[in-house]
Amino acid sequence: MVTSDPFTTLGVDEHAGDEEIKRRYLALVRAFPPDRDPERFQRYRAAFEALSDERTRLEATLLQIHAAALSRLKQQLLASAKPFSARASKATVAALLSEGADQACSARGSTQERSAQT
Amino acid sequence: MRRAGMASNLQQDLFVDAPRTPPIGALEAMRLGNFREAIKLYKQLLKQQNLAEWREGLAQAYAARASQLAAKGMYEEAQIVLDNTAAPDGTVRDPLLYVQCLIKRGQHGKAAEHALKYVGTSKVPPAQASRLAEVTAALSLTAPWPSHAATEKHTERGRWFEQAMAARQALTAWLEGKPLAEIDDLLAHISLRSDFKAVRLILKALITGPLDPDRARQLMQAVPVQSPFAPLRLAVEAALSQPSLEFLASGIQSSGPQQAFVLQLHGLSDSGSHSLAELLKAESGGPSSLFTFLLKQAETKPGGELRSACLNLLPRLPDRLARFEKTFGPLSAFDKNRVLALAAEARQDWGGAGRHWSQAAQSLETLETPQARLQAGVIYRHLAELADRHEEVAGAGDDPAVTYLVRSRRSDPDHLPTVLKLVVKYRAARERENWDCLVEEALQRFPKTAAVLLHALEWARERKDLGRALDFAHELFALDPINASLRQGIIDLRILRARDMIQAKRFELALQELAEAKKVEQPQAPSVSLRLNEALLGLRLAQDTDAEVRLRAAMDLAGGGIPGWFLASLEDALMKGGGSGSFLRRELIAAQKVPPTKQAILCISAAADGEAARQHSALVARLIFRIRGWLLKGSGLDWSVKEFQPLAEILEGAEAYQVLGAYAKLGRKRDPDEPLWLLYWLMARTKGDRAKLSYREAMELAEHAAESENFHDVKLIGDFLDSGDDFEDPPATPSRMTEQILEMIDACLRGLPPEQIRQLVATSGKARAVKVVANRLKNSEVGEIFPAAAIRSLANEIVESVLSKRDMPRSLRELPPW
Repeated sequence: MVTSDPFTTLGVDEHAGDEEIKRRYLALVRAFPPDRDPERFQRYRAAFEALSDERTRLEATLLQIHAAALSRLKQQLLASAKPFSARASKATVAALLSEGADQACSARGSTQERSAQT
Repeated sequence: MRRAGMASNLQQDLFVDAPRTPPIGALEAMRLGNFREAIKLYKQLLKQQNLAEWREGLAQAYAARASQLAAKGMYEEAQIVLDNTAAPDGTVRDPLLYVQCLIKRGQHGKAAEHALKYVGTSKVPPAQASRLAEVTAALSLTAPWPSHAATEKHTERGRWFEQAMAARQALTAWLEGKPLAEIDDLLAHISLRSDFKAVRLILKALITGPLDPDRARQLMQAVPVQSPFAPLRLAVEAALSQPSLEFLASGIQSSGPQQAFVLQLHGLSDSGSHSLAELLKAESGGPSSLFTFLLKQAETKPGGELRSACLNLLPRLPDRLARFEKTFGPLSAFDKNRVLALAAEARQDWGGAGRHWSQAAQSLETLETPQARLQAGVIYRHLAELADRHEEVAGAGDDPAVTYLVRSRRSDPDHLPTVLKLVVKYRAARERENWDCLVEEALQRFPKTAAVLLHALEWARERKDLGRALDFAHELFALDPINASLRQGIIDLRILRARDMIQAKRFELALQELAEAKKVEQPQAPSVSLRLNEALLGLRLAQDTDAEVRLRAAMDLAGGGIPGWFLASLEDALMKGGGSGSFLRRELIAAQKVPPTKQAILCISAAADGEAARQHSALVARLIFRIRGWLLKGSGLDWSVKEFQPLAEILEGAEAYQVLGAYAKLGRKRDPDEPLWLLYWLMARTKGDRAKLSYREAMELAEHAAESENFHDVKLIGDFLDSGDDFEDPPATPSRMTEQILEMIDACLRGLPPEQIRQLVATSGKARAVKVVANRLKNSEVGEIFPAAAIRSLANEIVESVLSKRDMPRSLRELPPW
């Protein structure tokens, strides 16, 4: 529900300085180069441009609703994750299988199948 | 009765013996996608004769209609339509669609039950067989185990149920947290050739994942993305990595179950109130539920992050401001106003937004720290933008945006875009003093900045300070040496200065200016105006023997013929007191022997549309007059109105109405529906004087404008008719306007019938009768529209028409018999 904002996209604090923002941006671009994932790169680029200058950073902080603090809260909770420490619930697996069945049925209307039926 | 019975028998006989004609109407309806009609037609056909092919056609029509309904999201209706195709055992024509309808309606158990009907049968359309088998496999794992499964052994259906049971047991073992070895043993019972292959791969990946994630990922790749097990596969793949904020964000938008699966596997989904799952659940419930959740957290575990997160939710929930302050303490005036301003923006209350932003900025100004000043600058800039877009945003002065920009600049004087915006505003508003000061200040504060220099160049040119304009142009050129238009701009400035020198009879200095311009010119891209001016000055000074040769070369560069000589004459005229006038006149007359072409005429209109030419329209008019005969010959060319438009503007500016009329006359013949030809024709006829238009002509033109969809045409006609700058409401058509006026007169004179006027004339004289009618008209709506003189004249005509028993006054075509 909370709008994605440049702070959350880059994963930086709203009080972060030029250096930190640039370092974070370069790290993300190295991890996800534009030739491998152009859309993701565009997102990072736009976020970096929105925060690269002190004034634009202030614009993002003052004139927009951002979710940086909420993201940090989530990050804190995520830090306690223990991979494969538990099993999924039966309801979750059932929901995933129903979702899959629904998607597979929706793909029924493909041109190929329809022409085959005709 | 007997006759009717005979007819019926005959009809039956005819049907029995009739060849099986194809149901053309039904087939056509199917082809056009009108399946309801097709169903109706097939039903009619089946009433006549129960043919298998028509039954088949009806079933196809039902299936197609169901598909159509499902595509619109009408799953219940689609299911009902498909029920019409059900066989006695409950199987339907399009089982996949039927199953989908049930899933969409949340009837997962029924969906599984229905899908199981097709296991081991041949009742599935071949194209759907493999997909339906997989869908059935997936659904069978979610539904209760069917009671009849145990009885079906040693058949294809029985073997399928054996595999289903194996998959079910393995999945249950994993869900219940049984040891990995036990699960692995159970997986061995699932054949990789069965429809449950994906279950085996996914569960294997889940038990391999903690030790060997790469191997697990490899296993996952064997599950196709179109498979019904794909969402489970994606969830397992996501669980193999540490969950990130990005994954959580995408999970909120795409698949909740996938996100839940990952969180559960990472132990993040315990039901405690501090869990991530609870937070995400609250977030998916909207800002209100998230705010309540965070506030509850803050009561037990207060923290800066919780306050900050809640503060950023407040603009969406301004009514929770008091609740927020109760939990976290009072907000500062700035924060409160910021929240209220953002909330006002969200509900598009621009007046409120302006007020709160203004108060927020003012509270910052009192702080006087560098950071607060920058923040105030940002808010004032935002206010200026809002004021530009929304009239409701109030502020001091004629243009609130200017006031806010001034304040923004005061708070943050180093912000260049604010300064440039303010420069543009001052220039547009013709605030000369402010404009001068701001440009001078900007030049000092932002030296060697291209954007500032560009504005300064325009400013100096408008002040006719050619010296400073040249300085700015050279500075700009140093920053951008490959800018061709800037290069030409410097040449033009030098030419302007040379003209000034020539007028001051300081020919040496004029030569110097042109020599300086020559230094900027690129030899491979010679400047026509510079070459012409050099040659013309040479001719004038009679020092240069090659001047005429150079003039001819420059003239050729300008297009040769009439366009070349026209441009040369124009440049010479712009020098003023030209010494080469007679020579150029002779050449211009001689060149007119060549018949005109469209290209040559368009070259002339381009030359006459230059900046200098526009400032000296009288000179252009004189030159146009000299070539009017030649231009007249060009009227016979096949001009489109769009091609002619630039020339029309030149001709209008030069008051060459005869030429304009000739072009417009032939243009109207070619394209009588084109409103601009009529406009030019009327402009020519009235010599550009709108007052000379007859009422009918004005109305015809207004009608054309009202019918035209081209805003430019409407604007041109509107400008000529002087009917206001904006054409928001289309002008009334003549008939509507006349009708309205006549209705007004009719209403006004309703109490004064013609007989009474005649009586008045007989008793008090005609003058008295005219006065009575005029008074009535004056005191009615008509009096608000027409001036007194027109009212008197109208009254006179009305009385005369009554006396002569004419139907209407001369000035009005129709007058209702009031």
